[in-house]
Amino acid sequence: MRDDGRTRRRTPRDELAEATAHGEVYLRRLVRAQLALSISALVAFIGLLGALPLLLFLVPHLASISVAGIPLPLVLVAVPLFPLFVAIGWTYQRRADALDEAFRDLVGGP
Amino acid sequence: MIAILAVVAVTAGTLGLGTWTVRFARTTSDLFVASRAVSPWWNAAAISGEYLSAASFLGIAGLVMKDGAVALWLPVGFTAGYLTLLLFVAAPLRRYGSYTISDFAEARLGSPRMRLLAAAIVLGITGFYLVPQLKGAGITLEQVTGAPYWLGVVVVGGIVSLNVALGGMRGITYVQAFQFWLKTFAIALPACVLLIYLGGLPNHNTLFGDGVPRAPAEGLSVTLDQPQQVVFPARSSYRAGGGVHQARKGERVTLPAGEVRLPPDAAVPVADGADTGRGVKWSRPVGSGGSDGPLFVYSLLIATVLGTMGLPHILVRFYTSPDGSTARRTTVRVLGLLWLFYLFPVVYAMLGRALAPALYVTGQTDSVVLRVPELAWPGEPGQLLSALVAAGAFAAFLSTASGLLVSISGTISYDLWSRVRRPRGTLDRRRRFRASAAVGMVLPVVLALGARGLDIGVLVGWAFAIAASTFCPMFLLGVWWRGLTAPGAAAGMTVGALLATGAIFAGLAIDAGGTLGSLLTQPAVISVPLAFATMIGVSLATREGRPDADAQLLALHAPEGLGLAQLERATVPAAEPDGPLPATRT
Repeated sequence: MRDDGRTRRRTPRDELAEATAHGEVYLRRLVRAQLALSISALVAFIGLLGALPLLLFLVPHLASISVAGIPLPLVLVAVPLFPLFVAIGWTYQRRADALDEAFRDLVGGP
Repeated sequence: MIAILAVVAVTAGTLGLGTWTVRFARTTSDLFVASRAVSPWWNAAAISGEYLSAASFLGIAGLVMKDGAVALWLPVGFTAGYLTLLLFVAAPLRRYGSYTISDFAEARLGSPRMRLLAAAIVLGITGFYLVPQLKGAGITLEQVTGAPYWLGVVVVGGIVSLNVALGGMRGITYVQAFQFWLKTFAIALPACVLLIYLGGLPNHNTLFGDGVPRAPAEGLSVTLDQPQQVVFPARSSYRAGGGVHQARKGERVTLPAGEVRLPPDAAVPVADGADTGRGVKWSRPVGSGGSDGPLFVYSLLIATVLGTMGLPHILVRFYTSPDGSTARRTTVRVLGLLWLFYLFPVVYAMLGRALAPALYVTGQTDSVVLRVPELAWPGEPGQLLSALVAAGAFAAFLSTASGLLVSISGTISYDLWSRVRRPRGTLDRRRRFRASAAVGMVLPVVLALGARGLDIGVLVGWAFAIAASTFCPMFLLGVWWRGLTAPGAAAGMTVGALLATGAIFAGLAIDAGGTLGSLLTQPAVISVPLAFATMIGVSLATREGRPDADAQLLALHAPEGLGLAQLERATVPAAEPDGPLPATRT
């Protein structure tokens, strides 16, 4: 496994392939970045979804407001959450793919 | 009559198309390449098609009609589950390349025993999920043909079993994608047409105001198959068993079998278990406590948001994505497609509360989607619409039940049977898979025959609770944490499975109300954190036995296209004719 650095430069890809100390660092960095991204998306999603039942529980007179003849609490559960999920999912997907792409550039794929 | 034809057409069409595509794919001999060329949109429709079961098609509307808007959290959770799946497991699992949950458990943790435990839990979850599909089939056939409930359950169980054994409709992306659009069309068109015909939602006072469901102006006639215990919400007279009777407000009465007549505008008595109340209460998504309080809502959300990633028949579908990034894009599209579908069940629930009060008397709110079209628009238009709905409901049972039975048969024949005695060649394996498809259907059919009185939505909620308490922690920790060990995963999954099933059976056995009752019927809020804690705790205590996590994490997280030796993905074989796929990790 010895390499004197003269005949051939070791690329991050070789190191990853041989799971050397450096390779491990690269991989750990990717996993950590992906996890941080997932958790921040989760926090946004749980924050919004998790707050709604509590809000409806604590402020019962929201029910006296109606939107197009339908009580507001019902509208809040049935309408805005779904597009919100799509929006969070879409944003996450683009960022996660960008992280993968950056890793690919670093490691230097074929 | 039209409805019978529609149901037969959907059944024959689905089975025929499935069998035909399998033949077609085999003769072109490249099912695998074809499935890898599937675009994210097609694959998303296929995943949604397999996912949208009787619970979504019939169960949600039924539960909303019966329990009120609190049941609307169910479709929210069913959809949000895909968001957690997207954030934490979709791409890594695709990259890892194990086909089934049992494969993943064995490969990631390096322990063949994990496969057995995972297989046992897969059987539990799929069994719980299959029962409500059969129940849905039973009540739909009853509604459409007038055949007894048990006949529908047995016939559909037999058809699905035969279909899976003969290899039809298995992992066929295009058939499942077609099923999604059929179901969406079948639920959306009648809902829109009826809303236009009625000029909006009828009877706002019953839905959102002070009103309770009442008999229509010409009175209400209900035919009961068996004596039914009901509660009268207001003083009323009724005619039953040849005499006229009086009931006080709040009186509990056992109505005899046969015809029961209520005078015009009488508040309808409601079957035991239903708690409808006034419109203001019914339309409240979070109540003040007990079975509709915040604790119950959070527990339901935890089960559905975390349980989706543990559903065996859904996870397999992600491997038709060519790579991790496509798996992500596919999941985002699934979120959009489910949003589209879930716009509609609530419409049937509202129309049902306003127009189908007889279902409160019989307690069969699960069939509201099937009943509403003819009640809202009597005559031929209503019959046509209800035929369409019945066909869509059938598509829902067939696709989900087939997917579940494939998982069950694969688990029995591959994960369990092969461990006892190795199969002698492909032919033997195929025979075993067929035998498992027949045997695997027996217990769910028997359970479905006894589950007539349980709501479809509730039964499916239990399957999610078990999945969230077992496979969800295993996936989340296995994908993201180096420290997970086999004993830790085994202990956590066992604790989660025992707590969740124990609570559910205890809830069936004793009739506890209030906080305890809501925890027993939806235990996820307790069982999921405890499963996580056990898994982490035992893993830390057994640190020496930790598998080589670096190679594992490389396979889970490194993007494709690097050409690294470790990253060479095992070639994903086509859905084999004999079903269960061997562990594909190299």
